[in-house]
Amino acid sequence: MLLAYLIFIPAAASLFCLVIRSRPLMEWANILAFAATLVLALALGQTVLAAGVLTEWDGFFYADALSAWMVLLISAVSLGASLYAGGYFRRDVAGNALTPGRVKEYFVLTPLFSACMFFAVLANNLGVMWFAIEATALSSVLLVALYNRKTSLEAAWKYVMLGGLGLALALFGTVFTYAAAIGKGGAEPLPSFDWSHFMTIAGQLNPRMIKLAFVFVLIGYGAKAGLAPMHTWLPDAHSEAPSPTSAMLSGISLKVAIYALLRFHILAMQCLGPGFSRALLLCFGLFSMFLAAPFILVQGNLKRMLAYSSLEHVGLICSGVGLGTPLTLFGALLHMGYHALTKPALFFAAGNIHQRYHSMKFRVIGPGVIKTLPVTVLFMGLAAAAIVGLPPFGLFYSELTILSGAVAAHRLIISFLILAALVAVFCGVLKQLSRILIGEPPQSPSSRTLASPTPVPPVPQGELGTAPKRARANDRSAMDGVPAMGLLIAALLLFSLWLPAPLLHLLQKTANLIGGKA
Amino acid sequence: MNTDALSSAIASQLVMLFAALMLVLQLLLVAQQMLLVAVRLYALQSLMLTAIAGVVAYYYNAPHVYIVAVLTLAGKVVFLPWLLNRIVRDIKIHKEVEPLLNAATSTLICLGLAVLGFIVARPFTTLERLGSNTLAIAVTLLLTGFFLMFNRRKAITQVLALLTVENGIMLAAIALTSYGMPLVVEIGIFFDVLVAVMVLGILVYRIRESFDSVDTAKLTRLKG
Repeated sequence: MLLAYLIFIPAAASLFCLVIRSRPLMEWANILAFAATLVLALALGQTVLAAGVLTEWDGFFYADALSAWMVLLISAVSLGASLYAGGYFRRDVAGNALTPGRVKEYFVLTPLFSACMFFAVLANNLGVMWFAIEATALSSVLLVALYNRKTSLEAAWKYVMLGGLGLALALFGTVFTYAAAIGKGGAEPLPSFDWSHFMTIAGQLNPRMIKLAFVFVLIGYGAKAGLAPMHTWLPDAHSEAPSPTSAMLSGISLKVAIYALLRFHILAMQCLGPGFSRALLLCFGLFSMFLAAPFILVQGNLKRMLAYSSLEHVGLICSGVGLGTPLTLFGALLHMGYHALTKPALFFAAGNIHQRYHSMKFRVIGPGVIKTLPVTVLFMGLAAAAIVGLPPFGLFYSELTILSGAVAAHRLIISFLILAALVAVFCGVLKQLSRILIGEPPQSPSSRTLASPTPVPPVPQGELGTAPKRARANDRSAMDGVPAMGLLIAALLLFSLWLPAPLLHLLQKTANLIGGKA
Repeated sequence: MNTDALSSAIASQLVMLFAALMLVLQLLLVAQQMLLVAVRLYALQSLMLTAIAGVVAYYYNAPHVYIVAVLTLAGKVVFLPWLLNRIVRDIKIHKEVEPLLNAATSTLICLGLAVLGFIVARPFTTLERLGSNTLAIAVTLLLTGFFLMFNRRKAITQVLALLTVENGIMLAAIALTSYGMPLVVEIGIFFDVLVAVMVLGILVYRIRESFDSVDTAKLTRLKG
């Protein structure tokens, strides 16, 4: 019952939060549910390592090494987000940014969102996987609109409409995939749409239909994964959502869409040979990396910059998969994991900054955040060093693995392009963050208002009015969100320096699966 | 197969007829500016889809396709139009503003898209299955649905456009696989669509409250 519990525990937590009223109880229900799924995820990893494949409910649920790796990431990111969410929303309610009803909405919808993601990576039937992914979009759209600002409604609308269009195309591709199997593998008029069944008949599928299906699925799930040029909803949704939700969207939801792409990629490779889908993934991946860099360089909004950085990392993961050598596949999978630990920490730090400065604009935040929020800046600095790929953090190793894999495969131009994009993003992120994190803060809020060439309406007044109150709250709020950020960064450092043997085996197994050597 | 009661030729003709009617309704929807009428056109289009599912179920004597037909009837012909009707009445906006392209141009573009749909579907059109020649119409519904979405500005019309795209995909599923998707997938898609419209409805109410309008052309603050 391992796989079923992974879905039912968060779903039960969601129902529990729906009927109770006490907010601390909701926070604990969320934290405990995700702690439980993390334990189950570890157990699943063990089982998959020993047995290879785990199925339940007559093959309705199916988990191989790839699913186990995704389950592990979903649990870790959800747990981190739920640890951060409690304090974050307490401060939001205290600051009148949210009503308690909306906060309840968060605690009900978030476990549901996670349950849908677990469902998506554990479903055996490819059609069931589609509606689980659609359900992740539906359960997260109201989270994006949680603040009910004009901009967050706009972001939610774009998210659900563009996501809906993308998913419609993915469904069309899914229908084509199913149609490719009609009349193959037995006389049954209504063949099973299970992944395990499809892998056994992959060689007999109608290749023309699979080709068309993969293109539709790539555009469709690619839109959900934020691949350029279908990414336009991504910076909006990730910047307007409350920080714990941004962390989950960026840290894991994008990767669940990549997971779906990987499934179809494996199927297409079995049916058509490796060339077709690899080339497409590589093109979209490189394009996303190159599109992200200039947007990061000119970005004026902290969370939007982080969202574009996610776009770059998704692009890198797809490029790694597209290159398709064992080394780049391993690097891409490793990169997924390290990115899932790093990006939430950045979004949590951004959430702390937002609650202090009531804006995400670099211009409004100004230099010298280190003086007002030293602990947050410390974690943000560490996470930023990790996200741009500085050693000793894991993203350095995973990027190096992908690059060396590309060089070893004699794809010199590709490796050069990847390196160029990485360097551009490196400069962009560090330049932007150094604008706000370090330096001397303006002397007083009033002098800053005078100094700034264009008046920024709501923020300075707010700062004037509440400045004394803030100063008093300063000591107490220094530790905001530290448990969540600290745990994520500690886990990142730990796994950067020491990759446990079972985890290494799991990743190798997954890389072999995607590489077509199961 | 109930070949005695319904010969293959007649069944095929019936499916083709209903599919063609779906396309006609789609073209009317593209030219329509009254929101309540548009909702009714969508309901009629879903009714045609139900009829196709009914014919397929009867012809192949497939119980699970009957279930799909009943779900489509209850959900997409009765419940969703009722819900959309209520939303239109509540937000008190009955007429679409002038679309990007006027009715005549839109219709011409949709005819062009229909030709494109027929060209795209041609390699996959075999006559071995009932209704396999409706794939062209399914692709056309998909393309015109996308066009409708970009051409209109009211949130409700965009929701309708997305729903017609979904109708097109369901038609494609029947055209390509004769029985449609496995039952568990059909039921999953069905509930996803219901929940999607409810979530979109909540968003429409909130947009209406904040912007005093449901004109999506006003959603332009987020850039870069």
